[in-house]
Amino acid sequence: MGALRFLLRRLAFSAALILGVSFILFALINAIGNPIQILLSETPGVSEEMIATLSRYYGLDGNFIDRYGAWLWSIVHFDFGTSIIYNQPVGELLEVYGLETLKLQLPAILLSTLIATAAGVIAAMRQHGWADFSIVSSAMLGHSLPGFLVGIVLILIFSYWLGVLPSYGAYSTRNLMMGSMVIDGLWHMVLPVAMLTVFNTATLTLLMRSSLVDVLRQDYITAAWASGLPARRVVLHHALRNAFIPQLTYLGTLFGLMLGTAPVTETVFTWPGLGALYITAIHQLDYPVIMGVTMVITVMLVVATLLTDIAYVVIDPRIRLG
Amino acid sequence: MDADFASSPVSVLATLQRPPAGVWRQAWHRFRRNRAGMIGLVLVTLVVLTAIIGPFVAPYDPNDNAAMLRGASNAAPSARNWLGTDRNGYDVLSRTIYGAPTALAVGLGAMLIASLIGVLVGGVAGYVGGFTDEALMRGAEFFMVVPVFVVILAVVRLFGIIVVGTPLERIPNFNLMTIILLLGLFSWPQIARMTRAEFLRLRHAEFVEAARCIGTTPREILFRHILPNALPPLIVLVALGIGGAILAEAMVSFLGFGDPKSISWGQILFFNYQSLKVAPWACLAPGTAIFVTVLGFNLLADGLTDAFNPRVRA
Repeated sequence: MGALRFLLRRLAFSAALILGVSFILFALINAIGNPIQILLSETPGVSEEMIATLSRYYGLDGNFIDRYGAWLWSIVHFDFGTSIIYNQPVGELLEVYGLETLKLQLPAILLSTLIATAAGVIAAMRQHGWADFSIVSSAMLGHSLPGFLVGIVLILIFSYWLGVLPSYGAYSTRNLMMGSMVIDGLWHMVLPVAMLTVFNTATLTLLMRSSLVDVLRQDYITAAWASGLPARRVVLHHALRNAFIPQLTYLGTLFGLMLGTAPVTETVFTWPGLGALYITAIHQLDYPVIMGVTMVITVMLVVATLLTDIAYVVIDPRIRLG
Repeated sequence: MDADFASSPVSVLATLQRPPAGVWRQAWHRFRRNRAGMIGLVLVTLVVLTAIIGPFVAPYDPNDNAAMLRGASNAAPSARNWLGTDRNGYDVLSRTIYGAPTALAVGLGAMLIASLIGVLVGGVAGYVGGFTDEALMRGAEFFMVVPVFVVILAVVRLFGIIVVGTPLERIPNFNLMTIILLLGLFSWPQIARMTRAEFLRLRHAEFVEAARCIGTTPREILFRHILPNALPPLIVLVALGIGGAILAEAMVSFLGFGDPKSISWGQILFFNYQSLKVAPWACLAPGTAIFVTVLGFNLLADGLTDAFNPRVRA
């Protein structure tokens, strides 16, 4: 009863949120007037008639409410419209560019969770020792490091000075690394993934350490020590499971943060992902793409939040549904 | 015996009569002992001083690109240009110094807006409760789940087009003000949540009940009794938020959506990123400035957390 109501309420809220974001953005894009007119106003030899025809082609005629309704109707059918700049279905663009974005973010999340867990365990077990001090202080520093600065420094060191890693793009334009698409792609992923990993690991480590320190202070851990269990078993088996809960919920936030700042990551590394697609679309007022990318990112964020909420409840029986 | 006691040089009575050290003084005593917090305070002071006196001591005018005419753009750091010149021939050090006031204006401006909205919404929600509370907090949640950065980018660009041809266009730094306003509009929910939690906690505190008993007006209770006691955790949030807003503006500007007429660290990065290979100093200087500022505010917030709640951390 409680669980179902909780789920329904969350779902209703998520739906309202997605609708709200789409409506606000759609209204704003409309407030600038007809994008076709703005884009072509400086081009010589474009008649009013051509603009009218093009506007009709992209569904830009008619009043605001009708057009929002039409847009919503096609979105429900997974039809994102046609890009004005690329003249391709937006759905296809989202798929191609979205996969490139996930190719960077999923490995980064995985890697940073592993590193942060290890570092957090070491720091929490040697609390106030030199290992703890160095881990915590470097995590504090890393936590304040702007992602793009990390990217710039990585490019400077590994691409320009050492010349070992590529600084831009997802694939080589001429000679593939060792003649293989896969190896070449992985080679290009190293720096962007490293940048995102640095960005995530610092915060996750601080979180891991503080929750582990909290858990290690609890009675059941004292009981575990008292029963003579080896340290490895107490920490890795008994404490870590509970210490993991805050970290898990934070993963959702982190994923959202990474998706949200994908434009920055992808500009630093000239990576052909959703963020880069979005930047071009904003510059060129490609409104179906702007709407499409925003919707994909909002939906992914909402789903991530929903999943972490659910995971929280499933993993931790102490949580009461509200 | 009694006479002896009363005439002792350090009178117990006198000690008792001296008012106890206030919350703020106690917090400062604890803060001083926090290494991270003190480093943060030093860094923030450094940035503030740079913003105030920097423009008077900067070696060049920020819009002086005479170096380009000499053919000395992208010049390496030297005695003439301590941090080198960028691709447009500007002195990197001077432009980085002039970026400090912009950064502080962004951080303080955005958090001022966020605090005003947040305290108002959170206070009303916490004090009134019931349906109002529910509605306001759902609204706050809406702003927390929205992909803020992505929305800000689109809104800044679209707003830039909307104002063309209106009187708003002539306001200096209008674009920067839009960014500040948007950052403020999107960062109030955390403050509202914290204010609400504090108001709920304090609403039935003994000293508030006492004030109510002696007939203090609700307004006085809110502003003189509850709000000051709710301030400490809010100050921590604001310190964190200033760093966050500065970073966000830097990212917006780095992507080319900043205010072309103002000098900000993100803008310098945007203009010089193309020539990273030939003139890395032009990117590293503003990048480091952003890092130092954000780090300063984060450490400051960390120290303040410790100072205000000594029991939270061991």
